[in-house]
Amino acid sequence: MIRKKILLIGDFNVGKTSLIRRYVDNTFDDRYLTTIGVKISKKKILLNDEECELLIWDLEGATPQKSIPKTYYGGASGAILVGDVSRFETIKNLDEHMEVFKQINPNGSYVIAYNKSDLLKLDQIKSLQNIENVFLTSAKNDINVEKMFIALAKEIFND
Amino acid sequence: MTNIQIILNTILSKNIFEYLLIDRDLKVVNTSVGVLKYMENVPYEGDDVLMHMPEFLGFEEKLKEVFEKKDFTYTFKTIQKNGYYMNISLDHYNHDIALVLLQNITKMTQAQQQLLQYSNETTLLYHALQKIIDAQNSLLFVTNSDDRIEFANQTFLHYFHAENLDEIKAKALKLYPYVNKNIKSYNELHKHIRGSEINLNIGNDTFIMQSTAIEETHRLFTLSRVTDIYEKKKSLEAEVEVDALTSVYRKKYFDLRLEQLLKEENNFALIVVDIDDFKAVNDNYGHTVGDDVLKEFAFLLKKNIRQDDLIARWGGEEFLLVLKMDDLQRAMDRTETLRKMLDEHTFKHIGHLTASFGLAWRGQCDCDDANSLLQRADKALYKAKNNGKNRVILKKLEKRGENCIV
Ligand SMILES: Nc1nc2c(ncn2[C@@H]2O[C@H](COP(=O)(O)OP(=O)(O)OP(=O)(O)O)[C@@H](O)[C@H]2O)c(=O)[nH]1
Ligand SMILES: [Mg+2]
Repeated sequence: MIRKKILLIGDFNVGKTSLIRRYVDNTFDDRYLTTIGVKISKKKILLNDEECELLIWDLEGATPQKSIPKTYYGGASGAILVGDVSRFETIKNLDEHMEVFKQINPNGSYVIAYNKSDLLKLDQIKSLQNIENVFLTSAKNDINVEKMFIALAKEIFND
Repeated sequence: MTNIQIILNTILSKNIFEYLLIDRDLKVVNTSVGVLKYMENVPYEGDDVLMHMPEFLGFEEKLKEVFEKKDFTYTFKTIQKNGYYMNISLDHYNHDIALVLLQNITKMTQAQQQLLQYSNETTLLYHALQKIIDAQNSLLFVTNSDDRIEFANQTFLHYFHAENLDEIKAKALKLYPYVNKNIKSYNELHKHIRGSEINLNIGNDTFIMQSTAIEETHRLFTLSRVTDIYEKKKSLEAEVEVDALTSVYRKKYFDLRLEQLLKEENNFALIVVDIDDFKAVNDNYGHTVGDDVLKEFAFLLKKNIRQDDLIARWGGEEFLLVLKMDDLQRAMDRTETLRKMLDEHTFKHIGHLTASFGLAWRGQCDCDDANSLLQRADKALYKAKNNGKNRVILKKLEKRGENCIV
């Protein structure tokens, strides 16, 4: 079976853990319990009739005091860069996260999640739609979560 | 084999370390018993190490290096596995065997996690407060013990045309000279304001300035723009208290003002004005013309009274006036002038129009309140209508014994 490592990268509290829990266990929790270090979850998917396994790395978020340790990045095939639409600076920081990821994994694929989209008004959603590689997700309301993971997996496996 | 196990068992007795031994094909050779608690499945000899240690996926090349290089060691820090936190390190043992060491760091990491949680939540709270502060209409700034501005909100930055806080800091902006030339520092300004508030003029703007001490060293200054508040209040007042059609006050506001006037020791006349035969205007010309007539009528009255007199619409074609006068006769004369003015005016659409006036004089009697004044004026109006319209009638306050009768 083919197995691939993918990372969830972004600032603290943007919803990385929540996106994974939604995708893997289909659950959501309103409470915030910050991640320290890393936790790996597994998810089997069918792509082109072939069973593959994603090893999803839930990394601790970047904080103003501390960036994400680079040792976690190695050997990843893909990444989901997660920002929180209600905190603009977390979206702004995505470029920086992406650069680190690409530097360590030049052939890695990535997609971008603008998470907590349930907090946006309709006209705001419209203005953010159709940006390349960007998924407006909500771990809370289960919007675009699976679609995004599958899109990333397809990109990885097509390479 | 036995050597390494003896060494390992001594470390392992402390229950902090567990291990797996793997061969060059990345298969499990042996494990400590305690390793089980970290794994989803029991690791058997010959199992692919990646099955139990998915953390190594993508690091296969590194894993192979470990067999070649003597001093090789590689560590993954703070991995959460099966509810435990651990550091996983990979060490060279010999050319055929490598050691995967799992160090249980759960207790220590849980403490770190709590600290991180606290720190992250504090950062979030700080951001949220910052947003609230930035959304304020008031200009806020904080000075420090060096008497310099250390923080300012967005409204403040915007007002002083600064992109960010650093610009303000670089400018070393001093606002106290605007208050008083003799004040030489923010600290002195704080003492000057001393818990109350002062007015501050910058350019065309007037601010109310307040100051609060934060700890011993810092001072929070707030500047609320008076011009803003004043204009908002005025436009709000206008919206709520003015009749949409005729642009004179509504009855509700008139009542408030009347109560105020009664508290003061002023003489004034309260007059109810009613347009004569207004129903005919509506019937003959339609309601649009009727509305135009009402507008023109109110406009004429308003134009011919003084600024501190009062006019309001009392529904339909009825209006209320307060004329501030020293004595009754002059009030009667002025009312008569108004009647005549209307009688002689040529109205748009309809030409001639008259109105009747009922007048009550504010008497110096304890029982003469707003209600009794209005009732008297209304009775007088009724009489004016019955006596042939287009006239001014006064209804006096009757005094019988100690009791007033309206
Ligand atoms: N409204 C809303 N809240 C969300 C969503 N996703 C996550 N949250 C909430 O946001 C907070 C943070 O979520 P986490 O998933 O723990 O965030 P994280 O990125 O893993 O945070 P760190 O581990 O500290 O880096 C939690 O209180 C979640 O309930 C979402 O889609 N909508
Ligand atoms: Mg997390």
